[in-house]
Amino acid sequence: MGTFIQLVVDGLAMGSVYGAIALAIVLVNQSTGMINFAQGGMAVLSAYLAFTFLGLGLPLIVAILLSVAASFIIGALIERFLMRRFMGRAEDTQVVVTVGLLTLLTGICGWLWSYNNLQFPSLFPSSAFTFLGAAISWRSFGTFLAIAGIMVLLQLLFRQTKLGLALRAVADNRQSASFAGLPVGRLLMVGWGLAAALGAVAGALVAPRLSLTPGMLDTTLVYALAAVILGGITSPVGVVVAAWLIGVLENLAAVYVPIIGHDLKIAVPFILLFVVLLLRPQGLFGRKTVVRV
Amino acid sequence: MGAQKTGLLRTPWFQLTLALVAVVLLVVAPLLLPIPVNQTLARIGVFAVAVLGLNVIMGYTGQVSLGQIFFLGLGAYVTAYGVENGWNIALVFLAAVVIPGVVGLIVALAAARLGGLAIAMVTIALPIIGVPLAKRLSDVTGGSQGISARFSSAPDWTGLANDQWQYYLVLAIGGISFLLVFNLVRGKYGRAFRIVKENEAVAGAMGISPYRYKVLAFTIASMVGGVSGFLYMVVVQYTSPETLAFHHSISLLAAMVVGGAGSIIGSLIGGIYYVLVPNFTNEVAPTLTSLIQGAILLLVLFILPGGIASLPRVLRRWTGRSSRSSPPASSPPEASAPSSDPSPSTPPNTSPSTSSTTPPSTASVKEDSP
Amino acid sequence: MTLLEITDLTAHYGPVQVLHGVSLSVPERGAVGILGANGAGKTTTLRAISGAVRTGGQIRFEGQDLRGRKPNEVAALGIAHVPEGRGTLGNLTVKENLQVGAYLRKDRRRIQQDIDHLLELFPNLQERYTSNASALSGGEQQMLAVGRAYMARPKLLLLDEASLGLAPSTAKTVYDAIRVLREETGVAMLLVEQNANLAFTIVDTATVLETGRSVLSGTSAELKGRDEIRKAYLGG
Repeated sequence: MGTFIQLVVDGLAMGSVYGAIALAIVLVNQSTGMINFAQGGMAVLSAYLAFTFLGLGLPLIVAILLSVAASFIIGALIERFLMRRFMGRAEDTQVVVTVGLLTLLTGICGWLWSYNNLQFPSLFPSSAFTFLGAAISWRSFGTFLAIAGIMVLLQLLFRQTKLGLALRAVADNRQSASFAGLPVGRLLMVGWGLAAALGAVAGALVAPRLSLTPGMLDTTLVYALAAVILGGITSPVGVVVAAWLIGVLENLAAVYVPIIGHDLKIAVPFILLFVVLLLRPQGLFGRKTVVRV
Repeated sequence: MGAQKTGLLRTPWFQLTLALVAVVLLVVAPLLLPIPVNQTLARIGVFAVAVLGLNVIMGYTGQVSLGQIFFLGLGAYVTAYGVENGWNIALVFLAAVVIPGVVGLIVALAAARLGGLAIAMVTIALPIIGVPLAKRLSDVTGGSQGISARFSSAPDWTGLANDQWQYYLVLAIGGISFLLVFNLVRGKYGRAFRIVKENEAVAGAMGISPYRYKVLAFTIASMVGGVSGFLYMVVVQYTSPETLAFHHSISLLAAMVVGGAGSIIGSLIGGIYYVLVPNFTNEVAPTLTSLIQGAILLLVLFILPGGIASLPRVLRRWTGRSSRSSPPASSPPEASAPSSDPSPSTPPNTSPSTSSTTPPSTASVKEDSP
Repeated sequence: MTLLEITDLTAHYGPVQVLHGVSLSVPERGAVGILGANGAGKTTTLRAISGAVRTGGQIRFEGQDLRGRKPNEVAALGIAHVPEGRGTLGNLTVKENLQVGAYLRKDRRRIQQDIDHLLELFPNLQERYTSNASALSGGEQQMLAVGRAYMARPKLLLLDEASLGLAPSTAKTVYDAIRVLREETGVAMLLVEQNANLAFTIVDTATVLETGRSVLSGTSAELKGRDEIRKAYLGG
């Protein structure tokens, strides 16, 4: 029982990281209609930035917050000067652009910080506390809480503020939004900036566990994409729930299903995905198909 | 294709001669060139076939696949396994094509259901799952160590060296693959692929099921990937989980775009790019490889979206524009005929209200009421 | 006083020229119609005013040149555009659609008053107030589109084919409401309409476009009296 609870909490923590990247992908998709395959790569860059700020002697929390702010700006600039050029082009072209961006960012990180593993300190103590007889690590619990908190904030932003309303309006119908006086270009930049900032938080929280390399989040991106499909891209809540589900299930499968084990647990979301796809093509919670025609 | 017959370059005789010269050169070349060059040429052939397969699903059908390297790897493993177990080489080849095809079919049946970008989102998982899977199935794959299979030594009767024999195998099998795909994309299937790529709604209205053609294109792409895997074993004679690593899949995609999406010649250029550019960047600055590749890919997307294969067309349009600048000026047809009755004839601008890619359904909503 | 003055407007879609010289003006508190066949350049003219199409020629609004301004900047000057096809924000609720319309306004209390007033005028919207706009019928979406534009409290309302795809009785309801809004607020209007009978219930003057040119303009009464107008647009 103790192991089980521990596995569930660890799974929720990793699931939160997948969920944050997935949510960032949803954020970008809802405002621009594209899938950003570089979302993980951008988060890695953010983690390296935090690492660098740390090296300047700043406290960890300050370094992370600075990198989140910087990531917001970088995300906005990427939208303005790269993605804007490809707006209205075929969606396969846009995907290739983000893949090119991923390659470029990986290259930049590798060039500036090398391809060696770097140790990134954790915000949370490495100790554990006992709950219902299970030893639960502060890191997992803290990661889960931090990302869950940010998701609540985002939900509030989108549902309760004028900025959130404007972002949703632009995502819905760019022309009507501009005719109503909304500064569409600036809002698209904000959307990308928010997604990048969200990724930055996820990157900083997961870097201690995965250790920092340019390809650190390649696998996480794959989990996040699976969560996006499973949850349904129109449903931010669904995507996060799917990400938690994936995190918990893969952890349990790794331990309790010998054929899968730790090395093949990445297959879990895709086994799940195949089953769901055949039964419910719109995803677990989504309304429409993943992408409009 | 859509161009006018402009001069010698476009006449069928000239093109036939050109093709003949190319074939003769390709056949004679390995007899004259040093071993490493032959090996490099053979590797180019291998990856040109892999890019060709990717072009079927992505360039022609418009569905991004990030998993093409998986099918190359699968084909290579099947080949190695078959050779190890003493199968007849024809059977090995068949298995190396059919097994990736079946796996591709299953993947596509599920992924294509979601439409659009879901294929990209699912296929990215193939190499990422493929690597640990290959390590796990060590009885069959040799695990992390990998597996080698020597079956492509030159037979004595040929009098050829190994590198020459391997080159010819790649040339023959790769050449046939190119011809088959060339025929496929020029025929009615190719037309259907293109319509699916342009506009799925229109395809549906024309009785072309986007789902079915995406599955078909993906399956063919997987089979061609299997062929390239077989050829990979012919040339490299060794495969390991690294063969199907994620970053190779991205490089393959980059090679396709740089070569030219939706272009047969582009696939060949893509093969050249895939093999030569990493060699080059590795020599210049190994730590910059990924950075340079990403930069090249984005640069091509910015300035030459049709890839290198479109360069002649772009250049021709440029030069054509400067020499033929006067005729379009006299073209506006409505200037000459001021119609007093506005209702029946449709003016030249049929859908001014929306972007040019709107499906025809919206254009026909409005109707005059004379 | 002239509110909007368009002189010699030209526009291209790629290589195709769609406007060859459109001229018209809208006086303050006036209502002007643009008539013409499908493809005559009516929608393009409205989009040109809103800055959604790049153009040649002159567009002056309250004396300022509009050319080169972005759609949101044009909106900020007091021009609201109800686009062809309604431009409903489908994933937003009716309430949120109206709030988006009022995006540029700061006077919170007045906004709520205007919403209340609008819901009186369009009781259907009252019933669907918190449902997603995509669930509305075509007529309701058109009312919502007009309402969204009204919420900006514009000086000039651009109205593109408000009757498109609606049943005749629904179209009439929409136009009745538009007329009430005009009478109450004195907002000037420039409206594009294929159904000239409907247009003449509102406009004082109209301009006829043919293949991207203004070929005729006059008061509603004059135009209704002309044979070619009757034949082409009034069904008789």
